[in-house]
Amino acid sequence: MSADVVAFTIESLRQMNFDVDGADGDTVFGPAGVDLDSLAVAELALRVEDAYGVKFGEEDMERLAIMTLGEFAADVSARASAPSALDGAAK
Amino acid sequence: MVTGIGLLTPLGAGAAGFFDAVCAGRSGLRRPAHTHPVAGILDAAGFAPRVDPATVLPPAEARRVDRFVVLAMAAADAALADAGVAVGREVDPARTAVVLANAFGGLGMFEAEALARQSAGHTAVSPYLLAGMLPNMATARIAIRHGVRGYSSTISTACASGAYAVAEALRLVRDGLADVVVCGGAEAPLLPTAATTFRNSRALAGGWADPAEASRPFDRRRNGFVLGEGAGVLVVERAEHAAARGRPGYAEVAGWGVATDAYHPTAPRDDGTGAAAAMRLALADAGLAPAEVGYVNAHGTGTKLGDAAEARAIRAVFGAHAPAVSSVKGVTGHPLAAAGAVEAAATVLALHRGVLPPTHNLDDPDPECDLDHVRKAPREVAAGAALSNSFAFGGHNVSLAFTHPPSAAVEAPPRS
Repeated sequence: MSADVVAFTIESLRQMNFDVDGADGDTVFGPAGVDLDSLAVAELALRVEDAYGVKFGEEDMERLAIMTLGEFAADVSARASAPSALDGAAK
Repeated sequence: MVTGIGLLTPLGAGAAGFFDAVCAGRSGLRRPAHTHPVAGILDAAGFAPRVDPATVLPPAEARRVDRFVVLAMAAADAALADAGVAVGREVDPARTAVVLANAFGGLGMFEAEALARQSAGHTAVSPYLLAGMLPNMATARIAIRHGVRGYSSTISTACASGAYAVAEALRLVRDGLADVVVCGGAEAPLLPTAATTFRNSRALAGGWADPAEASRPFDRRRNGFVLGEGAGVLVVERAEHAAARGRPGYAEVAGWGVATDAYHPTAPRDDGTGAAAAMRLALADAGLAPAEVGYVNAHGTGTKLGDAAEARAIRAVFGAHAPAVSSVKGVTGHPLAAAGAVEAAATVLALHRGVLPPTHNLDDPDPECDLDHVRKAPREVAAGAALSNSFAFGGHNVSLAFTHPPSAAVEAPPRS
């Protein structure tokens, strides 16, 4: 699933007008990579929440912003395979 | 001192072309294309040129910013280029200010996001909405783009907003708070809901087969205004600052006056006393006698009540010393908060060129609007002083006084 999330993330960032030519699982979201600001991280989170039925809290945002695409995809996959945790967060 | 002008109006981009079109009576008003969201709502409208947001914003932000912000940014770029000012090179960033005005904020972006939320749920609403639509974002984005670190604010007094921004610029320079002020207004109201409420309130001109005939300030057959969009930005600079870098300037911003009707949310006082008070205050602030004023650029939107009240006010203020009067809205329509800044630019250019632009479509002057109208053709007059009027829903009246030639008159020194 992680590879799928990486591809989805790259396509989302492309639609958000970020330069993702050559981006892969090792690319970072931070200034050394795609260079997302806080609003871009928020939009990306929304898109991924919508597509994969996961949920990110406000406290996750700073952590997300410094991940690589691969780390992010693994995080999303783990959340998606732990529905009980999501249920807990939603209550 | 006005040292730079940037305009995006239904007459195109650029100040010189704008003034030439007004003088030639080339209308910028069109019937909306059938694919435009205001088609079927507006018979005529004033569309400003397309501006690719990516020319003024980073790619990731360009897709999520309202058009009024983009128009303001493009006009500010043009005004600063015209003034020959790069912030940080010709002027200290901390002594540079931005005051941009608008009435609607990013209503277009809000409307689109509201519809997206209704149809697709809450995840369809962009996190970028506020950064793209808040009324202060034109000011803020100009400051970010040009590195302006001094005073900044946003003014919203409906259709008078743009002229209030110029008045604030004059105060900032006089008070020694800034050497350069980027000021003006921007508006992008050609949107379905906004256009519909104007239409439903019977404020708009109607029944004109040719959209170029719909806007007719002071004409006997006028029956409302034509909604427009655009941006006008002026660079107002401390005279000594401009002189020190060898910039002559177009004209001096010599005074301002504001008075409030305290009467009705949308209708003007029909005796024009609020408008007259604003003009008298502007004259007094500039140290001008009525007889010294050769030209008044009227608010003149083409509504029955508004034009008659303004004419009454001008007659009351000037009496026997009737100045020449015209309104550019015959060719631009009414771009709301941008109007005051666009028309301040028209007034400045009229003084600078020694040419008074005519009111388009003023074929048969209404006796209720008895004034020395400039109509049919421009008038070559080297006026030494002029007023530019702007009035608004809410009863906000502002008049700006300009003089020419721009003097290097000593103003208050900057506070150190």
